[in-house]
Amino acid sequence: MSVANEFTKGLWKEIPPFRLVLGLCPTLAVTTAAENGMGMGLATTFVLVCSNLLISILRNVIPKKVRIAAYIVVIASFVVIVELVMQAYVYPLYNALGLFIPLIVVNCIILGRAEAFASKNSVLPSVADGLGMGLGYTLSLTFLGAVREIIGNGTLFGMSIMWNSYEPFALMVKAPGAFLCLGIILGLMNWIGAMQKKRG
Amino acid sequence: MREFLRMVIVLVVICGCSGLVLSYTNQATRNQRENQLLKYVQGPSIKAVLAEYDYDNDPIQDRTTLAMGQDAKGNPVEKNVYLAKKGGSLVAVAYASSGSGYGGEIDVMVGISMDGRLTGISVMTHAETPGLGARITETAFSDQFKGSDIAAGVQLSSEGGTIDGISGASFSSKGVITAVGRAIEIFPKIKEEVS
Repeated sequence: MSVANEFTKGLWKEIPPFRLVLGLCPTLAVTTAAENGMGMGLATTFVLVCSNLLISILRNVIPKKVRIAAYIVVIASFVVIVELVMQAYVYPLYNALGLFIPLIVVNCIILGRAEAFASKNSVLPSVADGLGMGLGYTLSLTFLGAVREIIGNGTLFGMSIMWNSYEPFALMVKAPGAFLCLGIILGLMNWIGAMQKKRG
Repeated sequence: MREFLRMVIVLVVICGCSGLVLSYTNQATRNQRENQLLKYVQGPSIKAVLAEYDYDNDPIQDRTTLAMGQDAKGNPVEKNVYLAKKGGSLVAVAYASSGSGYGGEIDVMVGISMDGRLTGISVMTHAETPGLGARITETAFSDQFKGSDIAAGVQLSSEGGTIDGISGASFSSKGVITAVGRAIEIFPKIKEEVS
C-alpha cells in the first residue's frame, strides 16, 4: 500500500469511532459541542502522529517482551506535553475537556495503531497512518459534536444558527444524546456501506 | 541474560528521555500556565471576594509576592497577595489559602479588609463530591463569611460558630473553615508586609 493509501484509509474506510468503533469513551463524553470535539480530536491527532513516529523509529530497538510498556511511556509523555501546552494556551478548552485529556493515554486507537501499524512499518507510512486516523477521529468528533450542539443547543461553534423560535432539545447535549447520535450515525454508515457493496 | 539486560536498558533510556522532555516542557510552559490560572481561575475569584468592596485599581495588576517562611521540607514558600486600593491607599487584600476537604485540597480565595473583616471568600479548585461537598462553591454557603470579624475567627455553627455547614458534607465544610482560618492566621504578617 502506498503512503497516500495509509493516509486516506483513516478518513473513511477505517474511520476510527464509526468503523473501527475504537476510542468511544471520549467520543461519547466530550462531544457536547463541536469545539470540544474538535479540540479533543486535534489533541488525540498530535499524540497519535508523534507516538507513531517515535515508535516506528524505535521499532527495531524495543525488545518484544517490553514493547507495550515502552509504547505506554512514549504515549503518556506526549499526552502530558499536550496537557501542559493546552493548559498554557487554550485554558477554557482544557477546562472543558478536563479529565479526558490525561485519559488520551488509554485511548485504544493510539495503542492500537502503535501495536498494529507503527511497530511493523517504516517512518513515513506510520506518520501517514497516524495523521489519517487522527484526522478521521477529529472529523468524527467534530461532526458528532456539531450535530449534538445544533439539535441540543441551537448553536454551532458557539454561534446561534437556528431560527429564533427553535426550542433546543437539551437531551442531545446530555449523555443519552451521545448514544442516540452515535447509534444513528453508525447505522447510517453501515447502510451506506451495504449499498456500496450491493452496487459494487 | 543479555536479552534481560537489553530490556532493562531500553526501558530505562526511554523513561529517562521522557522525564527530560517533560521537565523541560513543564519549565517552558510554567509562566504561561500561571498567567492562564490568574486570568481564568483566580481572576474571577479575586473580583468575587472584593465585589462589594469599594476599590478603584486592578488588584491582579497590583499584586505582590511575599516570602512566607518555609514549608515542612525547608523550601521557601511564596504567596501572591492581591491589593485592592482606593485613591492610592490600601483598603483590602485577597490571597489564596487551602485546607483539606473530603476529596483533596480545597483552594479558597480569601479577601480581608485592612480593618480586619472578611470581605468574602470564593472556592477556586476542589475535588469534593458533586451535589454534596461541591456545594461549598454555592454563594448560599460562601456568603456567610462576608463581614465576619477576623478577631473572632470562623467556626461552624455545630462548634459554636456562626457558619452553617452543608449537611452531609462536614469534611468539605470544615476544609473551607480550615482554609479561611489559615488565611486569618497569616493576616497580621501580611498586613505588616504590605502596608
